[in-house]
Amino acid sequence: MTSTTDLLAAGPPPAASKARGRVRGRHPYRSALSTARARTGLVLVGAVVLAGLLAPLLAGHGPTDQSGQSLAALGTPGHPLGTDDLGRDLLSRVLYGIRADLGIIAIAVPLGAVLGCLFALVAAAHPVADTVVQRVFDLLLAFPGLILALAVTAILGPGRVPVVLVIALAEIPAFGRLLRGGILVQREREYVTAARVGGSSGRRVLVRHILPNAADPLIVQIAVSLTVAVFIEGAMSFLGVGVRPPEPTLGAVLSQSMPYLAQAPNFAAGPLVTVTALVLGLSLIAEALNREIRR
Amino acid sequence: MRSYLIRRLPSALLVLLAASFLIFTILRLVPGDPATTLAGPDADAATVAAIRDRLGLDAPLLSQYAHWIGSLLTGDLGPSYAIGGQTADLIGDGLGATTELTVAALLFVVLLGTAFGVLGATSRSRWIRTAVRVTTTTALAVPPFVSGVLLVLLFAVILGVLPPGGRVPFLTAPDLAVQYLVLPALCLALPSAAVLGRYLKDGIERGLAEDYIRTATAAGVAPRRLLWRHALPNALPPVVTLLGMQVGHLLGGAVLVEAIFAWPGLGQLAEQGLQRRDYPVVQDLLLLLVAVFVLVQLLTDLVYAWLDPRIRWE
Repeated sequence: MTSTTDLLAAGPPPAASKARGRVRGRHPYRSALSTARARTGLVLVGAVVLAGLLAPLLAGHGPTDQSGQSLAALGTPGHPLGTDDLGRDLLSRVLYGIRADLGIIAIAVPLGAVLGCLFALVAAAHPVADTVVQRVFDLLLAFPGLILALAVTAILGPGRVPVVLVIALAEIPAFGRLLRGGILVQREREYVTAARVGGSSGRRVLVRHILPNAADPLIVQIAVSLTVAVFIEGAMSFLGVGVRPPEPTLGAVLSQSMPYLAQAPNFAAGPLVTVTALVLGLSLIAEALNREIRR
Repeated sequence: MRSYLIRRLPSALLVLLAASFLIFTILRLVPGDPATTLAGPDADAATVAAIRDRLGLDAPLLSQYAHWIGSLLTGDLGPSYAIGGQTADLIGDGLGATTELTVAALLFVVLLGTAFGVLGATSRSRWIRTAVRVTTTTALAVPPFVSGVLLVLLFAVILGVLPPGGRVPFLTAPDLAVQYLVLPALCLALPSAAVLGRYLKDGIERGLAEDYIRTATAAGVAPRRLLWRHALPNALPPVVTLLGMQVGHLLGGAVLVEAIFAWPGLGQLAEQGLQRRDYPVVQDLLLLLVAVFVLVQLLTDLVYAWLDPRIRWE
């Protein structure tokens, strides 16, 4: 599994910075990621991702093991975060919840991104294709995302697959529109004409010249999409159409804690802190990258 | 303006038609037959067949579709399959609750957004500007289910001043209704308020840097008047478009917020209807949502042109 940070730090292919003729010696994304804002984000995201990856080592119990004591308080021996209503260790559930979220996100976001980009490439090929693709995006955007989630789950039944699918469906128009816009802008640039005059085929110009330069905003979109993915997973859990119990996800643990907020606030504490750290970190990274691109 | 409307209407109707077709198709793809669901697990084949016949489920799909569209045009939506009562009443009740929630949220969006924007752009205190930035970044990043749980923890559990969920209709007991309304509306409003605040801040900052502001300052116009009469109105047109888009987000987000706060609106109705395969309720309701979405977009464009006289309804 590629961690979020790797994905973001990797940056665009070298062609992008060369073509833009950046004077600074450092890679543009690297300089964006070394700002205080981005560093805070990377630390937050890194900590959560690491906790999720190391869940089997860090968790003292299985995520679905039940101990005798339900709704144990913070700092109970053996259960640092306490236990939930069924006596399951909350620390373990949160750690494995992170792991489950990462697993879903790591499939769904790339899937949506790739499909969205493919749509954009199809749209770039022909004006008629462009119109069709645009309308498909409009329709995907017109349905409130969570209604879509309810419908998809009604068709497929609850589980991981519908969650992944709903996230991917939400990401398709986001990535597709961005790349389509980028291609349209780059296509008018002089270097494209130069490449055409130089005898490159239409496909080669698109893949080797336009695409690397149009891909810039996509990097930011990846960070944004990861946030959206965390959001959708949690929302679906709250709507009761998320991953099937007893498997923990961050959203599932949080929604299970709702009826016990007054009795055992520590039930909600773990997922609250984790989700906040994760989405805040991702937003900070996205914002730092965005600033760099808009300069 | 009339010609603009006339040109925009056909495409809006076309989107509605496409959406109706899509909704109808998706609903028929959902496994499980309304008649079987309605008859219960122990029903024999004859009962199920009788129910199928009563609901008209044996008719060809195309004629079922035509029947549905016909019911929409005549306004007689008919009875619901499973939830009970007339479809129109169910949707009316849900719409009332969701509208209440969305309007209250919109009010919060405008109030908080303006406060964020004006304070962020004009406050002399660095602390206030930083506080606004941190608040908007957080409000924008944190999903409603996190802010919702935090709001319930703070206001219902710790302070004990507001109820954690449920609804009292506004017309029954306004004071009680407001208490139930505050937390869900705030939860729904926060992300949109942050977006609005950011746009407004940028707009006001750009506006205050314009030459005419310098001229007006030199002519002795008071700073407060500069902000409220000049910089702010000029920052409004893009914000209105944004607000229009946010209404769509609010409606979509309402589905989640209703689930968090047990608010009996359209989202809850959609959830129930889908679970029980109540075709009439779900398809009418989804189409209504799409229609509202389309209408809001149309209104947004009109208001935009009204706010910015440089744009004509051409």
